[in-house]
Amino acid sequence: MFTWEFPPLISGGLGMACYGMVKALLKQGIKIDLVLPTKEAVYFPLREESDVDDMPTVFIDPKRQKQFVKLTFTDVKEKLEYIGLTQHPETYLQLNEVTQYIKRFSQLHHNERTILSETYLWDEMALHLIGEEDLIKKVQEYTLRAEYYATHLEYDLIHAHDWLCYPSGMLAKKLSNKPLIVHIHATEFDRSGGPGDERIHKIEHAGMMYADQVIAVSQYTAQMIMSRYRIDTGRIKIIHNAFTIDEDTNFERQRIFHSPTILFLGRITLQKGPDYFVEVAEKVLKVHPEARFIMAGTGDMGRKLIHKSAALKLRNRFLFTGFLNRQQVERVLRASDIYVLPSVSEPFGIAPLEAMAYGVTAIISKQSGVSEVVNHAFKIDFWDVDRMADTICHLIENPDICRQIGNEGRQEVHLIQWDEAAEKIRRLYASTLAAYIKNQGK
Amino acid sequence: MLHVVFYFQVHQPYRLRHVNVMDVGSGRSLFDENLNRSVMHKVTQKCYLPTNALLLDLIKRHEGRFKIAYSITGTAYEQFAFYAPEVIESFEKLVETGCVELLGETYFHSLSALYDTNEFLDQVMMHKQLMKDKFGYDTVTFRNTELIYQDSISDLIFEVEGYKTILTEGVDRILQWRSPLYAYKNYSKDITLLLKYYQLADDIAFRFSNRDWPEYPLTVDKFVNWIDHLTLSETGKRNQFLNLFMDYETFGEHQWAESGIFDFMKHFPAKALERGNIGFANPREALHLANYQQESISFPDAVSWADEQRDLSAWLENDIQRNAIETLYELYEKIRRKGDEHLLREARLLSTSDHFYYMCTKYFQDGDVHKYFSPYDSPEQAYIYFINALADLEERLT
Repeated sequence: MFTWEFPPLISGGLGMACYGMVKALLKQGIKIDLVLPTKEAVYFPLREESDVDDMPTVFIDPKRQKQFVKLTFTDVKEKLEYIGLTQHPETYLQLNEVTQYIKRFSQLHHNERTILSETYLWDEMALHLIGEEDLIKKVQEYTLRAEYYATHLEYDLIHAHDWLCYPSGMLAKKLSNKPLIVHIHATEFDRSGGPGDERIHKIEHAGMMYADQVIAVSQYTAQMIMSRYRIDTGRIKIIHNAFTIDEDTNFERQRIFHSPTILFLGRITLQKGPDYFVEVAEKVLKVHPEARFIMAGTGDMGRKLIHKSAALKLRNRFLFTGFLNRQQVERVLRASDIYVLPSVSEPFGIAPLEAMAYGVTAIISKQSGVSEVVNHAFKIDFWDVDRMADTICHLIENPDICRQIGNEGRQEVHLIQWDEAAEKIRRLYASTLAAYIKNQGK
Repeated sequence: MLHVVFYFQVHQPYRLRHVNVMDVGSGRSLFDENLNRSVMHKVTQKCYLPTNALLLDLIKRHEGRFKIAYSITGTAYEQFAFYAPEVIESFEKLVETGCVELLGETYFHSLSALYDTNEFLDQVMMHKQLMKDKFGYDTVTFRNTELIYQDSISDLIFEVEGYKTILTEGVDRILQWRSPLYAYKNYSKDITLLLKYYQLADDIAFRFSNRDWPEYPLTVDKFVNWIDHLTLSETGKRNQFLNLFMDYETFGEHQWAESGIFDFMKHFPAKALERGNIGFANPREALHLANYQQESISFPDAVSWADEQRDLSAWLENDIQRNAIETLYELYEKIRRKGDEHLLREARLLSTSDHFYYMCTKYFQDGDVHKYFSPYDSPEQAYIYFINALADLEERLT
C-alpha cells in the first residue's frame, strides 16, 4: 500500500483515514506492506492490528537494517523521526537523480511490450511528473524507490492513495503485473477550488485509467471523477470513510468562553471556505455580540482573513489560534458548541465526525462527502451564509436544542466505524483478485 | 543666542507573551517576563548606564552650562525598579545636578489622548505623581506619546495643574514658511510649543552610523558648523531653540558604541559652547528665554515624530491596528464600570503604543524600522497575541 500520510507524525485527513482503514483491514486478516515518503528507504510490514501504532520498520539496505535493529527508541514518534518522516515536506533530491529517473522511465517503457492505450497513459503520467517544486521532486524520489518494493516484496494487490502515490502504483503494476486499486481522497479540483495544476490532473487521470479499480470516498467524489475525469462508472466503487474513536481521548466538555463558541478547524485555504466562516461570523455577531468565533489552523489565506476580520470590526470575538498540535485540537473541540465546515468542495471531510464525537453540533457544507453519511447535523450550501448565520443564531437562542443535536450526533458517529468500510474494501480486493486470476487464465 | 534643547525619551513597554486562544481564562500572565527582563538587562548595559555616566560627567564638567531633559515612562520606571534598580540611582544623580528637567507624559506611553479623554488625564496625573514621588520633581513641560499632538491635546493639558509648555514635532506641512527654531504658542495662546528640528535630530538618531549617507561620518565640528550656520537666520536679538528630541536608546542601542556615538556626545557640548553664540537650555526655560511675541500656530490634525509621514499611520493605519485599539478602549468602559483595579492595570499595560506599532504593515522604508523594533515575526502575529489578550481580559470580566 502506497500512501503519503500516516500518523503519528502526519495527521491530516488522508493520514487519519489511512490509519483507521489499515487498522480495520489488519483486523480482517489482511497483511499490508506500507510505503511512506520517508527520507530513508524503508517500508513497514504490518501484520497485526497493534502494528499501526508500533510501526515495525524494515530498511531496504541490509547493512542499514543491521544497524537499525540495534537502536532503541523511546516511542514510535522518535523512530519515525529517525527514518525521516517529517511533518513538513522537504527537498532532498538532487537534480542528477531526476535525470536518472527520467532515463530509467524511458528504458522501462521501451523494454516492455505494452498495448497502445497503456503506453499513452504511461506517457501521460511520466511526462507530467516533471517540475522543480519540492513536492514534485519528492514524488519523483518516492516513485524511484517504488521499483524496489514492486520487485522485492511479496504481494497480491497494489493499493495507492491519491495522486502523489499513483506513479508508484502504476510502476508497481507495470513491473509485477498485479492488479492496482487507486483510492481517491481528493482531486486537484477539490484542493485548488478551481482548475488547479494541469500536471496533477494528468497524473490523476492516468492513475485512474491505469488502475483496475477506483475507490471514491463519497458519492460526491464519484460524481466528480465521472464528470471531470471521464472514468467508467463500472470501475468506480464508493466506500465512505469512517472515524476511529480513540479510547484514550477525553471527550468531556471544558469551556474556554462562557458564551457560545463556534469553531472552524482546518487548513485556512480556499477549498475549506474559511472566508464564508468570517462572513457568517459578522452576521451572527450583529445579533449575538456575545458569541465567540475561533478559526483554528493555518494556511495561505490566514493573513488575508486576519485583516478581513479586523476590517469587519469583529473585535475580540473572532480569534485565530495558528498551528495546533493534537492536544490543542482536542482542547478547542472540548470548548466548542458549534462546528462549521463551509468547504467549497470536500470529497469526504473527516473533521466534522471528530467534532461530533465531542458532542459539538455540526453545520456541514452540502458540497461534501461527509454529508452523505451523517443525519444529525445541519447541511447547508457553502455559499448560503445567511442560512448558516440563521442556523447558528437559532442554536445560540436554543441551547437545549443545540445540546440535544450534539448528543445525537455523538451517538451517530460512534456507529460510523471503519470495520464496515474495511469489509467493503476486503470484498473489493477479493473480487478484483478473482477477476485478475480469471484474466490470467485466459 | 541659540539654545540647544536636548530631550531624550526613555521608554520600555511590557511586551506580550505569545497569548493563545487556549490561554483565555487560564490565569496565566499575559506578559513575557523573560523577554522583558532580558531586553532591560541588554539596554541597561549598552545604553542606560554608560550614557547616564557620560552625561553626568559632562554636566559636572561644564558647571551648569550643559543641560538636558528626560521623559521617563511609568512602564520603563517600573521595569528599572524590577530588573535594573541601578539605572534609577543614576537618573537620581542626574536630576540632583539641577541641570536636568523631567518631562510629563502618559504613564503608560499610550495613545489614550486620541481615544479616551478621562483615561488620558488619569495617565497624565499618574505620571506626574510618579515624577513627584520618585524624583521629587514637579513637571511643567509635557510631551505626548511619540510627540503626537493636535490642538485639542493642548486644551486637555492646559487643564492639568502646572503644565505650561508642550513639545512636539516641527512638521513641514504645519510650519510651512515658519522656522522650528522659535518658541510658538498653541492655537488658543495658552501654552508654549517647542518644535523638534527633525533634520539635525534625525542626523544623530537615525543617520549617525549610516555609511550610505553622504554626510557620513558625522563629526562634532561638522555638526557644530551646521548649528552655527542656523544662527545666521536670526539678525535681531531673538533667542532661538534648536530642539533635538530623540529616543535615549539612540546611544549605544540604535547606534552602537562602535559607531562613535559616545565620543560624539562627549565632545559636542564643549565645541558648541566654544562658539559663544550657542548654549544649552531646558524646555522649561523657554518661557522666559522667549524674548518676543510668540506666534500662535494651529495643529488641526494629529502629527507625530514617527516615519516619513509624521502622522498617526505608524500605529493607526491598517485594519488590524484599528480593530485592536478600538476593542481595547471599548473594554476600558466595561472594566471601569466593574471597578476591577487588577484588570484596569492590565488594560493600561496593553494601551502602550508599542503594541500597535508592532502591527504596522508599511513595508517600505519605514517597515524596516518597525521590524527592527518588533519582538514578533509579523504584524499579524502581534495582532493575534494582542486580540487574544483582550479576549482574556473580557473573559475575566464576566
